[in-house]
Amino acid sequence: MDSIIKINVEREGNRSLLKESYHNAPYKLTHYGSPRAQDHLEMIIMSASPGILDKDSLVIDVHVKESAHLKLFTQSFNKLHPMKEGASQETNVRLDRDSVFNYVPHPVTPFKDSIFKTVNTIHIDDDATLIWGDIISAGRIHRNEVFAFQKLHSITRIYKDGKLLVTDNQCLLPREQPVSDLLFFEGYTHQATLFYCGPFAKLMKDEMDEILTMEYEDVSFGFTECADNTLMLRAVGTDGELLYSFLTMLAQMCWVFTHDQLAVKAEETTKLEAEVAQRDMAGTDLEKKEVRSVVAKKANTLKKTESKGVTSKTVDTKTAVKKKTVSKGEKIVKKDTERKTSKKAV
Amino acid sequence: MNPLLTLLQINDSVFPIGSFTHSYGLETYIHKGIVHDSKSTEAYAEKMLRYNFFYNDAAFFYETWKICDKKALKQKLIELDSFITSLKSPYEIREASKKLAIRFLKVVENFQSVRRCKTYLEAIQAGEAHGHYAMAFAMYAHAQNITLEDALSAFYYNSLNGIVTNCAKLVPISQMDGQKILFKLQSLIKELVDKQSDMDTDMIGNCCVVQDIRCMQHEKLYTRIYIS
Repeated sequence: MDSIIKINVEREGNRSLLKESYHNAPYKLTHYGSPRAQDHLEMIIMSASPGILDKDSLVIDVHVKESAHLKLFTQSFNKLHPMKEGASQETNVRLDRDSVFNYVPHPVTPFKDSIFKTVNTIHIDDDATLIWGDIISAGRIHRNEVFAFQKLHSITRIYKDGKLLVTDNQCLLPREQPVSDLLFFEGYTHQATLFYCGPFAKLMKDEMDEILTMEYEDVSFGFTECADNTLMLRAVGTDGELLYSFLTMLAQMCWVFTHDQLAVKAEETTKLEAEVAQRDMAGTDLEKKEVRSVVAKKANTLKKTESKGVTSKTVDTKTAVKKKTVSKGEKIVKKDTERKTSKKAV
Repeated sequence: MNPLLTLLQINDSVFPIGSFTHSYGLETYIHKGIVHDSKSTEAYAEKMLRYNFFYNDAAFFYETWKICDKKALKQKLIELDSFITSLKSPYEIREASKKLAIRFLKVVENFQSVRRCKTYLEAIQAGEAHGHYAMAFAMYAHAQNITLEDALSAFYYNSLNGIVTNCAKLVPISQMDGQKILFKLQSLIKELVDKQSDMDTDMIGNCCVVQDIRCMQHEKLYTRIYIS
């Protein structure tokens, strides 16, 4: 069955709203909770089908317009049923200026004999933020269907201002490759990838260098600056739920961090504008011109230094923000570890 | 110039481009005790060639060779260069490729200037291209009338030799065992070279997930002897 899901998000005032959207069977697109509960938009993709069947094709188009913020959720694990020919999924994302998009779908679970190809193409405009995750499992592990699928090919391409920034190409062929062995899954059964791409990725990398210093028993991970202003984290584990909550926790950290940084940026801009207005009121025409040029210069340097994160004012706020995010992160990490240990005890 | 001798020279492990300073994630494997003896060294080397190198650096080498064969324009090289950059996610791996490319191109520039190599070096220095060792090696070998089969075989051997030498130093394994691995995997290199041209374009850059993670984890290793 050929299915399409289209999502368009626009910003109106402080709120991000759903505009022209479309979906057909077996999919349904709906608000995740109350649409007015928050300023950003939260949507969930639901499906009436038990999963992806042979010859199914799904196209997801997401367009987040200027300054709009979208969080997209999925309902459950993406189950790939036994196939002869194979199924495909194509996800196209366009992020306009200053938009934020967060998408960490549930793990893909390939059943015995499934064949699946998924291609994600993401175009990001300058200053837009992408938080993107994906998790692939080895199959229905408790039914002894570990790496029993035929083929799973996942390609993700991220373009920034039209230029190819990141390509993630992974083709798993359990019948030809020793997929549970060295270099591949090395005994683990799930793998996860998270991208955080945007103007604050470098700062976030510093945060993660501080937060993610521990080694866990159940999850092995690594992260790196995979391109300019792009952070990539990869993890492997043995529990899909655990890995999913690990990834959504990190994604949430990136989301909060982005919004904290955006608030700092907005505050600075308002202050500058107020300064201009005040001086405009007081001064003569000549003075006004001078003041304007001084403020413009100040704004310019602020813009430059902001990206490096060294303005004195921003540093203060940033440290506060950092502390906030770090403590949040630590809490979640702690919670996660507790969960793990409690699980162990059980 | 004699193509064979030129190939032996540029492929020598002491060719001064600093390739001995990189382990491409192997140091993490040894640090974690996953590669710990001759047997695991051989398994690692075999899998690296078959599942990583074949789809990545060797494939990039082959793509560059095709561009040189067609005498295509600089633009094609720049496109391939950015494609490779986008695939090399771990920071240290990307930087290793760049460093080796620059030094390789600078050294060969002193032998006999090859126009394509010079253009590539200038593009890297101007920031138009990132720089990748596989591309630089292929371009120069192509210009020296070395056959594709020889050049690509040597390129595989070069990488295998790097793995074995690093294991001899780090694990450590005996020199004799190292030499045995080098000799034994000759047939694998031949097999891979023979099927290099059959690769589907979609498979270029296929990555092995945990190997990628080990390369990322290398950034955080407490003691590091290698740069990558």
